Amino acid sequence: MTDADRFAGRFLIPGGLWLLIFFAIPFVIVIALSFGTPGELGGAVYGWYPENYSRAFDPIFVPVLARSVGYAVATVALCLLLGYPVAYYIALFGGRRKHLLIALVVLPFFVNYLVRTYAWAALLSDEGIVNGALGLNEPIRFLNTPWAVIGGLVYGYLAFMILPVYAALDRMDPALIEAGKDLYGSNWSTFWHVTWPTTFQGVLAGTVLVFLPAVGDFVSAQLLGGPGTYMVGNLIQQQFFGAENWPFGAALTVLMMAFLFVWMVLYLRSAARAAREATA
Amino acid sequence: MTRNLFDEPMRRRELLQGGAGLALALGLAGCGVGEEGATSDKKQTERVVKAEPDGDLVYFNWSQYMEPKLIKAFEKRYGVKVRESNFDSMQGMMAKLRSGNRYDVIFPSSEWVDRLRKANQLLRIDPEQVPNASTVYDYFAKPWYDPQADHTIPYALYATGIIYRKDKVEMTGSWNDIGLDTARGRAYLLDDYQEVLGAGNLVNGAELNETDEAAVAKAKQWALDLKPTLRGFSTEDVTNMVNGNAWVHHGWNGDVVNIRNQVKRPENYSFVKCSEGIPLGTDCFAIPANAEHPGTALTFINFILDPENASKNIEYMGYPMPYEGPDATFAALVKDDPEIDVTIEDLENGQQFANLGAAGRRTWDRAWTEIKAA
Repeated sequence: MTDADRFAGRFLIPGGLWLLIFFAIPFVIVIALSFGTPGELGGAVYGWYPENYSRAFDPIFVPVLARSVGYAVATVALCLLLGYPVAYYIALFGGRRKHLLIALVVLPFFVNYLVRTYAWAALLSDEGIVNGALGLNEPIRFLNTPWAVIGGLVYGYLAFMILPVYAALDRMDPALIEAGKDLYGSNWSTFWHVTWPTTFQGVLAGTVLVFLPAVGDFVSAQLLGGPGTYMVGNLIQQQFFGAENWPFGAALTVLMMAFLFVWMVLYLRSAARAAREATA
Repeated sequence: MTRNLFDEPMRRRELLQGGAGLALALGLAGCGVGEEGATSDKKQTERVVKAEPDGDLVYFNWSQYMEPKLIKAFEKRYGVKVRESNFDSMQGMMAKLRSGNRYDVIFPSSEWVDRLRKANQLLRIDPEQVPNASTVYDYFAKPWYDPQADHTIPYALYATGIIYRKDKVEMTGSWNDIGLDTARGRAYLLDDYQEVLGAGNLVNGAELNETDEAAVAKAKQWALDLKPTLRGFSTEDVTNMVNGNAWVHHGWNGDVVNIRNQVKRPENYSFVKCSEGIPLGTDCFAIPANAEHPGTALTFINFILDPENASKNIEYMGYPMPYEGPDATFAALVKDDPEIDVTIEDLENGQQFANLGAAGRRTWDRAWTEIKAA
C-alpha cells in the first residue's frame, strides 16, 4: 500500500464509523429482533422463532406486495415523465439561471416529507382548498384513492429523478446533439438515438432512487390513502405500533431489505457494465 | 373552506402515525435490550411515598391532554418545574419506558395499567397522600385493572361510538350505521385493532374482549363486509370530520367536543353510543416504579384532582373526568347533546377494554392484519 493509499483510506473512517453506529449495529438488532417473540409490555423477547419469517409468506400478503410494487412502478413512470423534461430544460436551456432552477427543485425538500403530505391532505380534502376553488356542487374525491397515494409518492420523490437526470444531461457534450442534427437527424430521432442513450445511466439512477423509497413508503398511503391502499410500509409500521408485534415487523423489514437489495445489485451491475463500455 | 390542518395542535387520540416512524427509528436503538430485565422488585414499588415535592416533575402524557395553565399554576405554587414530554400512542409510551427513561407521572389506559402493574412497573399510591381523590366515583373503588385501587387514579373517561353529521345521515343507533348507504365513501373505521374487532364482537352479540377464534373470525368478517363502503381506517376522527371527508366516523366521545369547537355549524355534529354495546376506556394517573420525584408526582395528582382545577381541565381537553362535582362541568359542556357524556350508568352498562393476554392479542392481531391487507 502506498502512502497516498493510506492517506485516502483515512477518509473512509468518519463515514465508516457513522454507518457502523447508525446502520450496521441497528440492523443487527433488527435481525436479532426478527427471531424474537412479542413481550408482555409491547416489546420483544429474544429467542429463536423462525416462524416470523414463514408467516411473511402467507398468501394474504401477496396483494400488499403487488400493490406496493405497482404504486412504485407508476411513481417511477410519472417521475420520469415529469422529471426528464424539467431536467432537460434546466440543463440545456437554463443558461445563467441553471443553478437557481436547480435550487428551486430542491427547495420543497427543505420541508419534511410528512408535513408536505399533510399539506396535500389539507389541499385535496372534500371541503379543502382545491375543491373550494373549483366550487362544484359535488366535491371531487381526490383523497383516499390509489391516485392520491401515487400522487403523494411522485411529489415526495420527484427530485430524486430530476437531479441525476440533470447531472447526466449537464455532463453530456452539447456537440453530440449538433452532430446528430448534422447527420440529418430530426429533433426527435436525435433525442432518441443520441440524448436518451447518453443519459440513460442517469435515468437508471433516478429510477432506483425513486423506486426504492417509494416501494417501502408508508406515509403517503397512511395520510392520503383509503381502505384499499395498504402497502408493505404500512404493514411493517402496523406491526410495530398497532399490533405490538416487533419481531414480525422486524422479519418483514429484513425481507424487504433483501428484496430491495436485489434491485440495488442489478442496478450496480448495470452501472458498472456501462462504465466499462464507456471506457472500452 | 376548512381550517388549515396546522392550526390545530394534535389532540389526544389523533395520533400522528407517520411521526411514529421516526420515534421508532430512535426507539429501536434504545430498546435493543429486550424485555427480560423489565420487571422491577415488588418490594421497591410498595414503599410509602409522601406527597411532598421532592424535585421537578417529569411529566409524560398525550399532547393537548391537560390544561397548560394548570401546569403553570402548579409550578408557581410549589416552586418546581414541570418538564413535559408527550407520546402519541400507548406503544410509543411503552417504548420510552422500556428503554429506561425515567418519568414521574404517566397516563396509561386501563389495559396498560394492568400490564404495567403485573410487571411491577408502577409505584403504589397511598390513598391518604391524595385527599382530593375522595371525589372519584365509587365505581373505581375496585377497577378490574387495579383491584386495590392503589396504583392508579382515574384521569379521564372515553366511550367509543359513532360521530356523525346530523345534516347528512339518518342514524339508527347501531354499529352497522357505519355501513349506511347514505354515508358510502364517507365512513371511517378507527385505525385501531381493539376498537374495530371489539365493535365487531359487540355487533355479533359477543363480549367486547372475546378472543375465541370463531368469534374473532366473525368480527373480522363484519369489518371486511364494511370495507367496500369505507373511505379509510383512521384515528384522526377530528380532522376527518372537520374537513368534511367523513359523515360517519367510528370515534371517541370527547373528540366531538373538539370538532364542535372547530366547525361553523357545531349543531350538525353529534355522537351516538351504539345499541349493541358501548366500549369504555379509562386513562389513569400512574407513577412509574423508577420515578425520581414521586413526592412531586403525588402532589401534582392531588393538585389536578382539586375540583376547581379538574373543572378547568375538563373545559380545556373536552373529555369527562370521573369525579363527583367536576363531572357537572362536562355535562354542562354537552348539555344540548347529553349522548356525548359518559355517566355512571354508562359505566355500569358498558364494557371496558381488557388486557387480552398474549395469546388473545395474537389472535386479534392476525385478524386485524388480514382486514387491513385484504
